[in-house]
Amino acid sequence: MINLLQALLSGLALGGIYALVALGFSITHTTTKTLNFGQGEFLVAGSLVAVGTLLLLSGKSYTGVLTSADVSLAKYGIALLVSLVVLGTLGVILYFTAVRPFFGSAGMSWVMSTIGFGIILQNTALAIWGPGSLAMPSPLGEDVIRIGGAGIRPQEILVLVVTAVVMLVLDYILRRTRIGKAVRAVAANRQAAALMGINVAAIVVLAFVVSSGLAGLAGLLIAPITTASVFMGLAIALKAFSAAIVGGLTSPRGCIAGGFLLGCIEALVGLWRAEMREITIFALIILVLVIKPEGLFGQKPFEKV
Amino acid sequence: MRAHTIGIIVAAGLAVAVPALLDNEFYLKIIFTAGLYYLAACGLNVLVGWTGQKSLGHAGLFAAGAYTAALLTTKGGWNPWLALVASGVVAAAFGVLIALPSLRVKGPSLAMVTIGFGIVVEKIVTEWQDIFGGQQGIYGVAAPSFGGQALGTREWAWLVLAFAFAAHLLLRNLLSGKYGRAFQAVQAAEVAAESVGINVYRMKVLAFVISAVTCGLAGALLAQQNQYINSDFITFNLSIFLLLIVLFGGPSWYGPMLGAVVLTLLDAFLARWPHLQHFTYGALLLFALYAMPQGLAGALGQLGRKLWPGLGRAAAVPVVSAAQGEWVPRFAASRDAGGVMLKAVDLCKAYGGVVPTNHVSFELRPGHVHALIGPNGAGKTTLLNMLSGVVGADSGRIEFAGVDITRLRASEVCALGIGRTFQNLKLFPHMSVLDNVLAGLHPHLVVGFWASLLGLPAARREEAEARQEAARLLHFAGLLERAGDAAGSLPYGLQRRLELARALATHPRLLLLDEPAAGLNPQETAALTQLIGRLRDKGMTVLLIEHHMDLVMQVSDHVLVLDYGAKIAEGPPAAMQRDPRVIAAYLGIEDSEDSEDKPVTAAPSASSASSAPTLQPA
Repeated sequence: MINLLQALLSGLALGGIYALVALGFSITHTTTKTLNFGQGEFLVAGSLVAVGTLLLLSGKSYTGVLTSADVSLAKYGIALLVSLVVLGTLGVILYFTAVRPFFGSAGMSWVMSTIGFGIILQNTALAIWGPGSLAMPSPLGEDVIRIGGAGIRPQEILVLVVTAVVMLVLDYILRRTRIGKAVRAVAANRQAAALMGINVAAIVVLAFVVSSGLAGLAGLLIAPITTASVFMGLAIALKAFSAAIVGGLTSPRGCIAGGFLLGCIEALVGLWRAEMREITIFALIILVLVIKPEGLFGQKPFEKV
Repeated sequence: MRAHTIGIIVAAGLAVAVPALLDNEFYLKIIFTAGLYYLAACGLNVLVGWTGQKSLGHAGLFAAGAYTAALLTTKGGWNPWLALVASGVVAAAFGVLIALPSLRVKGPSLAMVTIGFGIVVEKIVTEWQDIFGGQQGIYGVAAPSFGGQALGTREWAWLVLAFAFAAHLLLRNLLSGKYGRAFQAVQAAEVAAESVGINVYRMKVLAFVISAVTCGLAGALLAQQNQYINSDFITFNLSIFLLLIVLFGGPSWYGPMLGAVVLTLLDAFLARWPHLQHFTYGALLLFALYAMPQGLAGALGQLGRKLWPGLGRAAAVPVVSAAQGEWVPRFAASRDAGGVMLKAVDLCKAYGGVVPTNHVSFELRPGHVHALIGPNGAGKTTLLNMLSGVVGADSGRIEFAGVDITRLRASEVCALGIGRTFQNLKLFPHMSVLDNVLAGLHPHLVVGFWASLLGLPAARREEAEARQEAARLLHFAGLLERAGDAAGSLPYGLQRRLELARALATHPRLLLLDEPAAGLNPQETAALTQLIGRLRDKGMTVLLIEHHMDLVMQVSDHVLVLDYGAKIAEGPPAAMQRDPRVIAAYLGIEDSEDSEDKPVTAAPSASSASSAPTLQPA
């Protein structure tokens, strides 16, 4: 029973990470019908830039080793800001080099180009930090908090809180503000939105900035839980995308729900047999696609014949 | 064809001679690797280049082949040749598995799901160590031998080149006939492909299976040549690399070959600097498609045409002689025979609160031209979509020639004899005019997969006959001069006519036309009216949706009127023109003056005895 609770708690934390990345997929997909297949590498970049920043703030070389004394909440905050700025910039570069040239063209050119961008990013990180994993102590310490016998790390609580805040803020912005309305208008119909005087190009760039920023944030949050490594990106991005499929790629709320659901399922299956996690998730996706291809919360696409 | 035969002989000569003359193990290994990648890529090209599906998980299929060969020869003690065959079969089964999601999702979701497939396989071979050996791998994979003689590097190069050659020739046979057209049609417009009797699901699965077999064979050959396989071979990067070969090479007969050779050489050249190697792949992925949208083959072709104009000639247009006679429908119906061709009973369809079809029943008679009219949004197209199997009815029944077709797929409905056109044209724009019509003949080409693959005489004969028939049909539709042009390059009016010709090619007993005159100018409308009249005279049964009342009045025998999803009237055209319910639906009762922009004009007719407004030809 305690095992179960334990699994659920860590599953929720992991799910929060998936939810953030999935949200990023959803934002660019709804506004541009494209998404960044190198999102995992963006997440890695987010966590490595944060590690590097923390090291520099502690007066060490950016490839050094962090100790828990080097990480305070203030430094973590600064690292977050640097990470978001770098990732936002990467998002803009990605959009202009890998997405815009292929805009509107059929086929999978943009899929390949975003993967290519991710590979370049990954190898840059590899050249700087090498293949090993880098520890990143949590700013909140490592003292495990007990809930009903199950332990949860402060960082995991931080993930949950940040995910919830991001979710609420984005939901509010999308539904209640002028810019949110513009984003939704672009998502519904680019041409019509442009005719109504909305600066579509700016909205689209913004979508990529936000999406990349979310991946960076996820990277920053997960690094203290799993350590940062150049190769962790693909698996996380893939599960995040699975979360988006399960919840519905068109629905931001669905992506969040899908993320948490997948995190919990993964943790529970991991209790039983660790090597079955990926297969279970893949099977789940197939099941969702067969029963409800638009996802649990997604809108059914209407194709006029 | 002659040039192709010479090309084959030259290429085969080179494939035999070059490994024979080379004495350098390294170069022989490069030839082996290039051949191996080509083998994997030529099947993947069918999937990606021809059928337009995305797969980023072919490393999983490569693994399926490699591990099948490894396990069967080490643990099962199978003959290596048999194991090679078995690995193709097992990979094909996995190909079906990976194809399943493609039946439900498209675009980026499908790409991600295929990545997921690749990752799952990678995890399995890494983590299930008691079976797959994980990173330790499986040693002692038995290699095929000729008469007990183990193969050296040179013999391996020959063997792989032989496989690559065979794959190339077989796929060329397959793709230059009906299967090639069907794959392209699926890529261009799935709904339209279904409407000409191509089963989209089956074609997608077939494309996945073909790519799986060549990929699995490549995997098995690699495992057998190395006599070893471990999980390090099976990575996401392999999937990307295979796809890169296809996309970098370009959609052409020789694209995958160019891609495989160039990228293998690049790979070998950069192997000394692993970092640079990966950067190069990233940069190729990022920029190659931007610089060369048609891949290397496309770029070279363009360059070639610039240097030697006339290099890429248009496909020869088949000649139709008068001796072969005019095209006639295969299933002419007699107008006087009576009976019912299609019977719709109590059809209903709702999209949420919108009910485009509300308890509609009607009958269509053989040899008659029926018109379906009604204001915009009356549910005409939805009704046509249900009849043709494009959308399913919520309730009710459709009986066609005594068969219940309510639940059939569009392609099955087409095969039973209902052809259709679309309101917003759905041609296969990048295919030639001739190929569009040939695609329409698809359900009547009976030669099977294996005969097409092997290029048996039966397949060639059928293809030649199909070309003749398509040419006759194009002649009938007045499109023969444009037979070699891309369908998308025709002027709008001719595109409409081509779509009609494509529907006729399916040899329909019943032809459904969804606003065939939409967007046509008066001359084109008159020509279309005449064409439909000719079809009626040839005994074709037609149901057409149309707003041009003059066309409706001239060609139809019977008119059905829909409004708000319900049938409000039916009868002979003249009677419908005067029917107060019909006039009310079209014009509104109070102020008929406001509706002059509609294709139906209201004018008190001097000749009409009635003082009420009538529907008159515009």
